[in-house]
Amino acid sequence: MLELKNISLTIDENKILNNLNMRFDEGKRYVILGNNGTGKSTIANLMMGVKKYHPQEGKILLNGKDITDLGVYERAKLGITIAFQNSVRFEGITTFDYLTLGGKVKASLEDAKKALELAGLNSDYLKRRVDSSLSGGERKRIELASILMLEMKYVILDEPDSGIDMMSLETISNIINILNKRGTTTITITHREEIAQNSDYAYLICAGRVFNEGAPEKMASYYKELCDRCDHPNDLLKIAESR
Amino acid sequence: MQISANYANEFEKIAEAYEKSGGDASNLLDKSISSIIISGDKIIGLNTVKGVEIESGTQEKGVWAKIRILKGNKIEKPIHLCTGFLGKEGEQRVNFDFFIEDDAEVSFISHCSFPWSTKLTHKMVANVHIGKNAVMTYNDEHFHSEAGGVTLISDTHAVVEDGGKYENNFELTKTRVGTLKVRMDVDLKKNAVAKFDSKIRGKEDDEISIVESLGLNGEGAHGIAKSTVVATDRTRARIINEAFGNAPYSKGHIECNEITKGDKVDVSTLPVLKVTNDLSELTHEASIGRVNSEQLDTLMAKGMSEDEATEFIIRGILR
Ligand SMILES: Nc1ncnc2c1ncn2[C@@H]1O[C@H](COP(=O)(O)OP(=O)(O)OP(=O)(O)O)[C@@H](O)[C@H]1O
Ligand SMILES: [Mg+2]
Repeated sequence: MLELKNISLTIDENKILNNLNMRFDEGKRYVILGNNGTGKSTIANLMMGVKKYHPQEGKILLNGKDITDLGVYERAKLGITIAFQNSVRFEGITTFDYLTLGGKVKASLEDAKKALELAGLNSDYLKRRVDSSLSGGERKRIELASILMLEMKYVILDEPDSGIDMMSLETISNIINILNKRGTTTITITHREEIAQNSDYAYLICAGRVFNEGAPEKMASYYKELCDRCDHPNDLLKIAESR
Repeated sequence: MQISANYANEFEKIAEAYEKSGGDASNLLDKSISSIIISGDKIIGLNTVKGVEIESGTQEKGVWAKIRILKGNKIEKPIHLCTGFLGKEGEQRVNFDFFIEDDAEVSFISHCSFPWSTKLTHKMVANVHIGKNAVMTYNDEHFHSEAGGVTLISDTHAVVEDGGKYENNFELTKTRVGTLKVRMDVDLKKNAVAKFDSKIRGKEDDEISIVESLGLNGEGAHGIAKSTVVATDRTRARIINEAFGNAPYSKGHIECNEITKGDKVDVSTLPVLKVTNDLSELTHEASIGRVNSEQLDTLMAKGMSEDEATEFIIRGILR
């Protein structure tokens, strides 16, 4: 179980997360919904242990153990990984090298092909470099393939659907389900209802806190009704505070 | 090629050094491949093929060679230049003159390998003349010694006539650098093209100084000068990339990326752009800094340590 307890985070004097509480049980599929700029990626980065996102208040617990002060590598060793919202490019590195981390991941060529295929790319991509010669969508798919190559307990996917064409929503849901079958907990940040529907539990984030949580269908329609029309998250924050 | 019996042992050592630097020594004996094998101050092997003329000789502490590619000849297999030095200490001077006649095409694979030298100064002076619509590619890989005692001073001056193309790739990434002073300049005539690409990795107290200079002197000339330097430990690096836009519709781009690791490095880059014709277009890009933190986080999230991730990223950049 991965827990965020009373998390508050301020960056450059802006309070971005505000007494946030979330909980992710083992083997479940979670989605995080919310408007642009409400703090979803911040939550993802903070769960992964990215330096700039160390909370000033609150704790991050993994099976009850405090991991708040652990960095990215230490958390990965504990089984947490992420596909960041922005898939960075790497000069000079082939997809195969990337998927196998230069030999660190003990996997065959077949494994790499299979992972790519599940992410919707053919094996021609193995020889290509993960640099600016790839489109944003292709790069995202390689990132998903890379996640499949790793055996992790918690997988955070920050908008895996952004920049990927419509058809591929199925690809993403399929990957989430494969991970789920392996017993991995998936935490997917998305703006897509289809992805939300393919999950077990949803969090609705507004202005850096959990505004609502529960059944994905309910949260998705809630999100559509409330958040779609609301371009002032801070007003919602006031509503949230008055509740 | 025949290696004379006098040099059989020496050739073996040179071949070993050559292979260390990534060369395939069997190419040096292949009759269909033109090659020059230099050991210290001697030429111990030389082979030419049709379309290639080579004159050579010795000079104080070294050798010289004039390599001519005859007009219109397209040399199918790259010419191999293998330069080695077997002693621990000394000086080696090498002078090369390249004449690529009009419409000829050639590529070179050069390996300079000094794995056993603890105190060696290697001085190279090259004059390159590329004729009209001729093409020359020069891939130069260096393998120095881990002791750091190699000093490389290299000066290349090139003239590329109308429509000619010149590409020079320099790589010194597998061993310590020692001290490096490289200067390359090119005079580009009408519609001529030049591309310089240098990749260097410095360790310990290596010293790196590079000047790459593009003279865009003919209408429509094009040039790119790019250097990538990875500086670790106490490495000092001074990189100057210059482009002079002296003719209409000429275009130049210079780029320098220096990746630093450790807080004792001392690196700088200086881009120089100068235009004397307002129809010329020059651009530059430069960066100095640690390995990109987003790249690091991405790899560390997959279970690589910071050191492993840094090495992985650097290897990619230098590839
Ligand atoms: N490193 C940072 N430095 C400064 N401000 C930041 C930083 N990261 C996030 N923020 C700010 O925190 C707020 C939340 O950003 P975040 O990226 O978490 O939003 P998001 O919900 O993921 O939005 P989107 O749907 O657009 O991806 C924004 O106002 C953003 O500008
Ligand atoms: Mg985001």
